[in-house]
Amino acid sequence: MEVTVALFIAKRLLMALATVLVVAVLAFLLVHAMPGSPGAVSLGAGASQEAIDEVNQRLGWSDSLPVQFFRWLGAAVQGDFGISLIDGRSVSADLAGRLPVTASLAAGATLLSAVLGIALGVTAAVRGGVVDRIIGGVAGMAVALPAFWIGIIFVYLLAVQSPVFPATGYVPFDVSPRDWALSLALPVITLAVGGAAFIARQTRASMLEALQQEHIRTLRATATPTWKILYVHALRYASLPIVAGIALQFIQLFGGSVIAEQLFAMPGLGQAVQNSVSTHDAPSVQGVVVIATVVVVAVNLVLELATKFLDPKLRAS
Amino acid sequence: MKLLNPSVRGSSAVLAGALLLGSLTACGGSSNQAAAEADTSMLTLAIDSDSGSFGYDPLRVSAAQRQFFEGLYESLMTLQPDGSAGPGLAEEFSYNADNTVMTLTLRDDVTFTDGSKLDAELVKANLDRRSDPALSAYSAVAKGGAQEITSVDVVSPTEVALTFAKPQPGFENNLTSTTGMIVGKDGVTDTASLAATPDGSGPYTLDPTTVKGSKYVFVKNEESSEASDFAFDKVVFSVVLDPQARANALVSGQADVAMLTSSTVDFAESKGSGVSQIGGTVNTMISFDKIGKTAPAFAEEKVRQAIQHAINRQALVDALHKGDIPAWNALPKDSAGFTEDLETEFAYDPEKAKSLLAEAGYPDGFEFTIIASAQTQTDLQAVQKDLAAVGITMNVKMAASTDEAFAAVATTPLGYSPLNWDNPVGVMYGVVLNGFTNVQKATDEELSAATAELAAAKDDAAAKTAATKLNTRLVESGWMIPLYEALVNQGYNTKKVAPVEFAGTNAYPLLSSYKPAS
Repeated sequence: MEVTVALFIAKRLLMALATVLVVAVLAFLLVHAMPGSPGAVSLGAGASQEAIDEVNQRLGWSDSLPVQFFRWLGAAVQGDFGISLIDGRSVSADLAGRLPVTASLAAGATLLSAVLGIALGVTAAVRGGVVDRIIGGVAGMAVALPAFWIGIIFVYLLAVQSPVFPATGYVPFDVSPRDWALSLALPVITLAVGGAAFIARQTRASMLEALQQEHIRTLRATATPTWKILYVHALRYASLPIVAGIALQFIQLFGGSVIAEQLFAMPGLGQAVQNSVSTHDAPSVQGVVVIATVVVVAVNLVLELATKFLDPKLRAS
Repeated sequence: MKLLNPSVRGSSAVLAGALLLGSLTACGGSSNQAAAEADTSMLTLAIDSDSGSFGYDPLRVSAAQRQFFEGLYESLMTLQPDGSAGPGLAEEFSYNADNTVMTLTLRDDVTFTDGSKLDAELVKANLDRRSDPALSAYSAVAKGGAQEITSVDVVSPTEVALTFAKPQPGFENNLTSTTGMIVGKDGVTDTASLAATPDGSGPYTLDPTTVKGSKYVFVKNEESSEASDFAFDKVVFSVVLDPQARANALVSGQADVAMLTSSTVDFAESKGSGVSQIGGTVNTMISFDKIGKTAPAFAEEKVRQAIQHAINRQALVDALHKGDIPAWNALPKDSAGFTEDLETEFAYDPEKAKSLLAEAGYPDGFEFTIIASAQTQTDLQAVQKDLAAVGITMNVKMAASTDEAFAAVATTPLGYSPLNWDNPVGVMYGVVLNGFTNVQKATDEELSAATAELAAAKDDAAAKTAATKLNTRLVESGWMIPLYEALVNQGYNTKKVAPVEFAGTNAYPLLSSYKPAS
């Protein structure tokens, strides 16, 4: 059994590594397919060809593609993503500053949408009738509403009309935990609305199925407290698709945070990728793509392992 | 002309949410700015771009970033509140008889953050970087530039002489912007260090709490003798790219001053914010090709005039630039050469456009391509529709690279760009007649004559006459096809900041001009 588990984890880890490697190669090739060389980008349109060639030579752009890729990869695995062509700063240092912003947003929004979604989904499944229809209707609308529109409404109501939360900006946790929480509140709520609705629908469907199970009926007959039946036994039975839904939400929110970052002026990865693509800053683009891929692959890996060990049937297989 | 606090402006769609929630919020309370107390401890400016995206070398950016960099660096000359050039790092200057050599006398009490002192050698070391093509601030003074400096010579420790390739009366104005900013010795020696560490003698220094790309925190530089001219102990430049978010930051009290787009002005004013405005920048389609090299039709003046008549400028402004001013004049509204005659002479008239096309030999229209950027694409698509209505097919192609965008001046007949007419003679000689918008070397005697007349004008009346001739001919000839004049808007918290003043017609207020509300 233990060997099987170890093999399973090893296989998944290898697949995850392969995925990251493929994305890294693709990002590398796409960046090289972009018009303009690093020399032309960093020196601007007025530069002479000699000056451009000199910079390209210095950056190793004249070497063959495999040589360039493996040089980049060798440095990247040690956490060095090179130097920005635009401002000469370390790409790794820049990403290290931005990752917590996007991660805070995605994690906060995922957590909030999970709590709200599960509570609403369980309520809809258990109460049924009008409550179920209201929750279903609201969830249907919330899934359809674009995040930027929801954000505009929240800002207008909770920052402009009633200054409860700041309208823009991000305060790092180590500067002020209170201001950090306040600065995250509106973007997190904005991103969580759609996620909560999605998870609520997922939870409702799974709970309805779980509540039909024989062991739940037995528990009811033995006078087990309702909350325990619902939130411990039934929810545990229904948890597989819900956990999958939550993980997918995190991945989606991680990638989709660019909307919130733009709307709330937060210096995250979404803003970085927007800037680096528009300025043709190849090392920055590669860095962001690889970091985002690593996060998504890691979450997928954790999801797969969690799924494996949550479901006895899958575990047995 | 300054258009301060206009009370009546056209209705504006502020944002979808605001409109939808209008009825809910109509009974909303007073502005929350009332809670803010007027103080001088900190000023937060919400800006629309990342001024520090290229690091902290002021020579890598153009005059548009002056306001940000003048916190960290001093210039050889200083922009005065009336827009003129006054003493800066150079106490005084003089020209030789034929205006080919300018000698600057430097202050001897200036210390940079690296501990180095200002002297003529340092100024020379700075200006000798002008051959570096990455330094945008030096593009005009580099070899081949419109105001080429051929040599910089140390006359004495406090005197430096700039020799020009051709006479440059009035060059001192260039030294009030980033071109005149001086970097300390360490920064000049190791320019890569400027990516992360500024090395200036300005009134502020960069605080470590700065978050690159998000907020730049400046704190008073007590070593600077200029610091006392700046009212606020700390200045924060907060980068907020989204226009609505900037307006929200202002009205919710997170920013004390915000650069507003015209479409958010009504919203800010309705929430009690003050708004100072200035015009001067005309968004203009520019005929790159007046000899028909890339599109034969453009050699015909009547074709270019047909385009003037084909564009519905009012509809363009109503749909895409609410609050800005439709423009039929090449020069801005506050220019001496502005004339309302052009508004009627070249009014929207598709039928006239068609007949002009027929007279020019293109009764069925013609086809050409224009290169667009993300900023210009929507405007060009609106123009494309107008031109299609008179038979002209304008293909809008997004620039695949910066190189392609720059090359468009030689490969396509028409371009689109904002033009600031702060110095019309400079724009004519540096951009229109001899500059990058005329790589095909077209000539127009009337334009050349009007420009020369304006340059030689001895009084306001003569300048007005010449400028009007120039403006009229620019439009008649179709060398310029103006679309709208964009207003620069500075929203401010009236409880904390005094009404914002612009320096002459410069679109960016001096950092020293922000004062606390009294």
